[in-house]
Amino acid sequence: MLVMETKTNAPQPSRRSLAGLDWFIFFLADVQTGFGPFVAVYLTAAQWTQQDIGFILSVTGLVSLLGRMPGGALVDAARSERNAAAIAVVCIGLSALIFAAMPAFAPVLFASILSSGANCILAPAIGAISLGLVGHALIGPRLGRNARFASLGTGFAAAGMGITGYFFSSRAVFIVTALLLVPTLIALSQIRATEVDPVRAHSGVASPDRPDYGLFRLALNPPLLAFAACNALFQLANAAMLPLMGSIMTMRSANWATVLIAACIIVPQLVVAALSPWVGRQADRWGRRPLLLLGFGALPLRCLLFAYTPEPTLVVFFQILDGISAAALGVLVPLVIADIARDTGRFNLAQGAVGTAVGVGASVSTSFAGYVSDHYSSQTAFLDLAAIATFGFFFVLVAMPETRPR
Amino acid sequence: MFHVAGSGERAILSSAITSAAAFIFGFAIAMAAAGPSAVAQTSTPQTPTQQTPTEQAPTQTPKPVAAQPPAPPKDATPAEVLDDKDVETVLGREIYSIAGEDMGRIVDVLVDHKGNIRAAIIDFGGFLGVGSRKLAVDWRAIQFNPDRAILSLTRDQVRVAPEYKDGEPVVILGPGSPAAAKPPHPQQTQQNAKPAATAPAK
Repeated sequence: MLVMETKTNAPQPSRRSLAGLDWFIFFLADVQTGFGPFVAVYLTAAQWTQQDIGFILSVTGLVSLLGRMPGGALVDAARSERNAAAIAVVCIGLSALIFAAMPAFAPVLFASILSSGANCILAPAIGAISLGLVGHALIGPRLGRNARFASLGTGFAAAGMGITGYFFSSRAVFIVTALLLVPTLIALSQIRATEVDPVRAHSGVASPDRPDYGLFRLALNPPLLAFAACNALFQLANAAMLPLMGSIMTMRSANWATVLIAACIIVPQLVVAALSPWVGRQADRWGRRPLLLLGFGALPLRCLLFAYTPEPTLVVFFQILDGISAAALGVLVPLVIADIARDTGRFNLAQGAVGTAVGVGASVSTSFAGYVSDHYSSQTAFLDLAAIATFGFFFVLVAMPETRPR
Repeated sequence: MFHVAGSGERAILSSAITSAAAFIFGFAIAMAAAGPSAVAQTSTPQTPTQQTPTEQAPTQTPKPVAAQPPAPPKDATPAEVLDDKDVETVLGREIYSIAGEDMGRIVDVLVDHKGNIRAAIIDFGGFLGVGSRKLAVDWRAIQFNPDRAILSLTRDQVRVAPEYKDGEPVVILGPGSPAAAKPPHPQQTQQNAKPAATAPAK
């Protein structure tokens, strides 16, 4: 394995390509933020009924759940990750235009399916372009940079959307989203196609005598299954936290709730931007497990603090813990998958598989926490989430091997 | 990359699995519902006693039979013409308190079995769709002015109300409800008197 490494992986990506990837990720995060929970706000303003909005959100959720693995497989099959990403970005920009121009049922349904399908391609494509550019040896620090630019993009977008939506209209948000298509594509074009090695991007082997890894062999790979389960548990505990806390804030403080919720969204992004390059470097020095445990350990602590906080303003500070978890997982999820899928040629399919587990955990989380908080109390809900998060931490401790290549 | 803190994807995913069936049938149903419902509003035969058409649309009376002017001919649809400045839609309407605070948007309306409008559901608070709450407010507490809809409750009065949920008892906040027990401003009671007397506003 080491011999092949030295033969194929001496990649010398140009500064231009690396900066292109930085800004591509930044602008893409801007574009994607527009399709978050804000869709419900926009469609409400466009005189949609709650039933129709719920239907659109369900379709979007279903597509992004079922589309992850086919999306990953598609990127594995693609010979140019760059072109695959470009097509997906154009689809998202088109969806934003349709949202802004025609908020009627059929166009919005089409645009929702289009954008969530495109996201299923983009998530693995970014990992693939990164791996294709720098190779396994330098992927840790590269993923740290990716996470930094993604969170900066999300933070800017949330702040910008708040301002745009407040001073102009919710429609303007989608027009700005569509316009962001231009810098996104310019940044993508800065990445030199020749520097993205497709074999490297799929975590494949160069020697043709070793065939690609079978689909089922990958699916039944014990570390990958364990890692998917870890991530499902993490999201099961994590996804409902902020929506639930946001609702409590709205209840407790009439005038400051909006500002506090905005701060709760932006603070973790800043922490991720500050921490993730460090995480990327340390992952090579310390190994993956200590940092995974750091990310998984911050979550139960945050759940407990949310459960017992006397004062909503303090929650903004507790969100620093969310940033720590997000920085650790943002870097380590693609990194550990790259470790596990090494020399299989199925890096992106493996990303899709873990992405599906994340989606399942997240979707169950909000329903579960909503049910508990309605029938018992929000404190009970946070304590239940803390129990799940603690279980997740010990699951990582017991089931996850160190995946750093020796 | 998979963990974008506070991103909406997971909220969006929440009911994905349960609505698998809806995904298959929903499109057809929704498409079918869009057209006929609009037709149904105008074509449903109404009992003449309930209906008092102030102005008959000229095109709707094809034969000048003249014997019975109030009862429309069998094949014609009873209709009424209003100035669009006199009526307005409520869905998605922004609503404010008397002091000008943002109270969210009207997302639904509740009627009882007699057809009387009882409450408006408002989507209140939150940032970019995170942390907003759906609350039921008394229909009589809303005044529809030509420029903006005004709710005679403050943010502080509505924020602690239990969230409106399908299939659960509805707590309607309003002028007379104990949930909004704070002593109303003198200005507020003035405002309340008017919409309480005649439900649909001017």
